[in-house]
Amino acid sequence: MLKGLFNIIVKEVKELVRDPKILLPMIIIPLIMFPIMGFAVQTSMEAAQGSMEEISVAVMNLDGGPIAESLMANLTNWNAKIVQIDDADFTEAFNYVQESNLTGLIVIPSGFSQNITEGKTAELEVYTPFRGGGITESASSSAVSSLLSFFENNLVNQRIAEVSKDPETFLNPIALSEKSIIKGKGVDINPSVLFGLVLSQSIMMPVGIMMLLIFAMQLAATAVASEKEEKTLETLLTLPINRFMILAGKLTGSIIVAVVGAIAYLIGFSYYMSSFTGMIPSEAGVDLASIGLAPTLLSYTLLGLSLFMALLSALALAISISVFAEDVRGAQALVGPLSILFVFPMIFTMFTDITALPFPLSTILLAIPFTHPLLAANVAFTGNYLVAVGGIVYMIIFTVLVLYVAARLFGTEKILTAKLKFRRFSLRKGK
Amino acid sequence: MGDISVNAAVEAKDLTKIFGSVRALDGLNFSIKKGEIFGLIGLNGAGKTTALRITSTLLLPTSGTVTVFGHDVVDEASEVRNLISYLPEEAGAYKNLSGIEYLRFMASFMVNDKSAVKGLVDAASEISGLEERLKDKVKGYSKGMKRRLLVARALMTKPKLAILDEPNSGLDVLHSVHVRTIIKRYAKEHDVTVLLSSHNMLEVEYLCDRVAIINKGKVVVEGAPAELKTRYKAVNLEEVFGEVVGFA
Repeated sequence: MLKGLFNIIVKEVKELVRDPKILLPMIIIPLIMFPIMGFAVQTSMEAAQGSMEEISVAVMNLDGGPIAESLMANLTNWNAKIVQIDDADFTEAFNYVQESNLTGLIVIPSGFSQNITEGKTAELEVYTPFRGGGITESASSSAVSSLLSFFENNLVNQRIAEVSKDPETFLNPIALSEKSIIKGKGVDINPSVLFGLVLSQSIMMPVGIMMLLIFAMQLAATAVASEKEEKTLETLLTLPINRFMILAGKLTGSIIVAVVGAIAYLIGFSYYMSSFTGMIPSEAGVDLASIGLAPTLLSYTLLGLSLFMALLSALALAISISVFAEDVRGAQALVGPLSILFVFPMIFTMFTDITALPFPLSTILLAIPFTHPLLAANVAFTGNYLVAVGGIVYMIIFTVLVLYVAARLFGTEKILTAKLKFRRFSLRKGK
Repeated sequence: MGDISVNAAVEAKDLTKIFGSVRALDGLNFSIKKGEIFGLIGLNGAGKTTALRITSTLLLPTSGTVTVFGHDVVDEASEVRNLISYLPEEAGAYKNLSGIEYLRFMASFMVNDKSAVKGLVDAASEISGLEERLKDKVKGYSKGMKRRLLVARALMTKPKLAILDEPNSGLDVLHSVHVRTIIKRYAKEHDVTVLLSSHNMLEVEYLCDRVAIINKGKVVVEGAPAELKTRYKAVNLEEVFGEVVGFA
């Protein structure tokens, strides 16, 4: 009996991975597309960084006063390359900046130094040539503004130094120290850092889980429908093997291929995400284990179990529904709308705590089995293991019920005779 | 069970199958002796495929019974599946597997050890005559090659009962002759009982020891081709068919 099951699993996996319609979108594309996207992002980031390090700017100094001179000296000190424009001909200056690939043109109007010395607001004009947009361009234009605000800060500090010994304290008389309380213990970590961490988990995890479940459902639906489409089902059903084993073989084959697909997706996606790490300030230094937020073995186990049950219930549901389709396209059309059952809970768990929602809405969400792995993913942070256990028990009951229906459909002639006619919107049996 | 039934490979009694408002079988009766090649002939929609599907344990009869070597197809479906090999009319093979992988997959449900599987696959290779082409994926096969592969799959296990629905469906003369010859030879050599359906009277006349002409879900006449031709003073089975059912 087990040998028969093994035969079916091997056949299912071979059939699925050799099918270009499955191999390409599920395994090859994530492995190629994400790294290419990541490479594109990384390259443009590097280009942007490079352009910030090498700023060449034209300066039209119409003032000539000491502060204007000091500004130019400072710009040179901060590694900006300065091209001085002596002539006050704007048209010529604009053309020159545009053609010679300079980052911008700083115009220091006459009276600049005098205004500042007298305590008045002094104007400074910065012209940035528009060359079609892009990250590199916006980064270099903001680099010029940063240098100018840096200079402005220096001026402010000089002013404050005239009245106070410590300009830093003068500017920031209150030192705010933000800390968190985790599971009843005070912890020296800014809550916004924690929220950032939890948010990144609560977005990545649901998206990953949703992708895995949608993959698996499409696969399971294909596994049954392709037998009908290729006219192999009848032969399979007359073989001396328990029909529940055929069902189990199809479920297992779909799980194996879906997991491989999900791994390919995660590898590709994590490569893509890693291309951003250079620009996102690292939250390093936060040792999650020391503050009791690292996932424990128990929370990992519960999440794994919860995911497995969600996968099993999704597959059983897909197989039961695909029995009513005559071909692969029909099966995918029938299973496709079920993705609402993943998207709906995913959106809610991303943005809110489900238990805080109005009662009818939270009941609907909790009745959807695929909400539960999302809740289990947060157990590490909430420490509420009962939520995960309850979800697993609920999914087991749901799966057993759906598997029972699927086994009944497989065990009788319904697997061959049940058909859903789309055009007539009626259920017809037999032919 | 009567005396005839003891020796019967297949016994269908008062078989009725109703799909919604369609009565596909309406009290069908027939009996097949062990080692016999028995043909069900009739027009499209006469009920041939439904009768074969019930005998193959795929469909449940609305009423009546079918036994295969004494086993009821409803109550003892798994015992029946151990004895039969079914070839549906529009059967396909897994297109992403090679011919040889397909045969191995099918053989591994019938026998346990590797050498026995190899024995069956070798037999199928000989029956199909596909040889080196068995290494190619099924999706590259012509219709004739695919049918030869499937007939070989159905016969390789030397089943006690082979149920073949239109075995020569859609084949050209060359493939048709090959399949016909193989069925006849293999059934006699290995004592395989064959229940087949066809609407090709000439093929049936050549292949079958006995035939039953069915119309509107009932057997209208039954006997050996030669006997029927004599009874109806006909040159061939086509004329017998015309005489019994009438060509509208």
